[in-house]
Amino acid sequence: MDIFLQQLANGLTIGSMFALVALGYTMVYGVMKLINFAHGDMVAASAFVGLTIYTHVMGQATSLFAVIAIFLLSAASMACVGIILERVAYRPLRTAPRLSAVVSALGASMIIQNGIMLIWGPRMRIFPELVPQVYWDFGGVVISLIQVIILILSLVLMVALYLFVEKTRMGAAIRASSIDQDAARLMGINVNNVIALIFIIGSSLGAVGGLFIGLYYRGITFNMGWQYGLYAFIAAIMGGIGNIPGAMLGGMLLGLFNAFISGYVSSTWADAFTFILLIVILIVRPTGILGERVAEKV
Amino acid sequence: MEILKRFSLPVFIVLMAILPHLLNDRWQAVAITFLVFTVVALSQDIILGKSGMFHMGQALFFGMGAYATAILNNQFGWPILATIPVAILVPALFGILLAGPIVHLRGDYLLVVTIGFNIVFVQVLQNNLGGVTGGPNGIFGIDSLSFFGTELMSQIAVYYFAFIVLLITFWVMHNLEGSKAGRALHYLREDPLAAESIGINTRVYKIFAFSLGAGLAGLAGTVFATQYAAVSPEAFDFIQSVLFFSIVIVGGSSIPGILLGVFVMFVLPEIFREFATWRYFIFGFAMILAMILRPRGIVPATFGKIPKFLIKGGSHGA
Repeated sequence: MDIFLQQLANGLTIGSMFALVALGYTMVYGVMKLINFAHGDMVAASAFVGLTIYTHVMGQATSLFAVIAIFLLSAASMACVGIILERVAYRPLRTAPRLSAVVSALGASMIIQNGIMLIWGPRMRIFPELVPQVYWDFGGVVISLIQVIILILSLVLMVALYLFVEKTRMGAAIRASSIDQDAARLMGINVNNVIALIFIIGSSLGAVGGLFIGLYYRGITFNMGWQYGLYAFIAAIMGGIGNIPGAMLGGMLLGLFNAFISGYVSSTWADAFTFILLIVILIVRPTGILGERVAEKV
Repeated sequence: MEILKRFSLPVFIVLMAILPHLLNDRWQAVAITFLVFTVVALSQDIILGKSGMFHMGQALFFGMGAYATAILNNQFGWPILATIPVAILVPALFGILLAGPIVHLRGDYLLVVTIGFNIVFVQVLQNNLGGVTGGPNGIFGIDSLSFFGTELMSQIAVYYFAFIVLLITFWVMHNLEGSKAGRALHYLREDPLAAESIGINTRVYKIFAFSLGAGLAGLAGTVFATQYAAVSPEAFDFIQSVLFFSIVIVGGSSIPGILLGVFVMFVLPEIFREFATWRYFIFGFAMILAMILRPRGIVPATFGKIPKFLIKGGSHGA
């Protein structure tokens, strides 16, 4: 039972990070029908930017103000990267064959990943201890302050995004664009602005996810983006790609699944089990858990 | 232009045939790598370019062939050439088994699942499943080529081995294009629904393309294992698959395009060694630029001998 509760806590923590990153994938995919391969690398870049802001801008302070500033500055810088990325690498290819856009996304991913390597070096860096190491022991189940913060902050961000998308006019524009871009344009929605907006939101959430990864795992490497990005994308598919609550649910479920595999089977096989789960879901329910069955247009 | 098209391939083949005698040891090794990776890229093209399936796990089949040769030679003492049928059949069979349940998935899902296959494969190799893959270190000590008892130790022998494999691949691709299967694949790439409705069993042909591409990649794996006399998991990491995928799309799924792509990705970095750390950074920009300027690839493929005026513009490509 101890293992179960411990892995439940760990799984929820990992799951909320997956969910934050998955939101970026699912929103971009929903509107542009493109896997933004660079998203995972932006998550990694955010952790490194956060590290640099901490050492060079904040003078290694860990006050509440400094931590908030690190989060805001990292998110803002990734939002800028996201907008540049969309303008330079994706917009010119909107009418091109699907695979050309995929290759462009792969190219962008390589640029960011290797850009991190050229700036911060190929070796693992240690992320600063921004949050004090506080642990609570509940009869064998250890939960850290970091875990609690990650979980609560992720839930707040996700609820805020959900309300934004469901309740505001801008959110309605996002939903409309992801159902049918052309129809949305005919209704007077500026799809270019919608796309810019989803890149801003997706990249900022991904940036927060990247900082959480740094806080939780401590070691950050230039190529970690692929790993987390792929997992987050799987989470998005599991929840039903293009579906925002689906990405949150998929992320949480994938985090729990991963934690239980690590706890009960072996962490060396976690990737293999994750992909087997993905394949099973795609065979049994190709639209994902919350995805709607849409008839293929001819 | 017509003459150039007609003679460029024979000229290329003759040049490649005499090439190793003009090079020193180091460049011979680079030339072998060029040949091997060209074969893998062409095999990827059968699945991705010719059949239009979003497949990003070709290093899996390449590695499977290499490991089949390495295990049979190192642990069971089979001569290299005797391992070839196994190195072709094992990936081809896995191609059928893995593709079977997933070929109907839509593009991007297929992409992620094939990446997944590749990652699972590398994890299996690293965890030393069954105790035969040698774990993270791989397998060292693979014999050199021997032909009816004669040892062919030199690198030139490996080069010609790779060269013959490339010629076989050219021959397969050429025959595929003119065959019923090739036409069916081309049709289902252009429009899967129309192909299905006209009576083409798209599922069978898709799986066929997967196993054919897998078998050829496995054959290339044998050459790769022979060249280095060793195999290790990171050589078949999925970043390799990403490179093969990009080569086919950037090249335009044509033989000259793919040759150019393999040259740029694998030979140029050898020439400009001082820029080694900048390699992928520069490739990233090159990939985006190439796609923006030529969305259908540097040298877009043409199919069959259909006169230009009969082809409606814009319908070509995925």
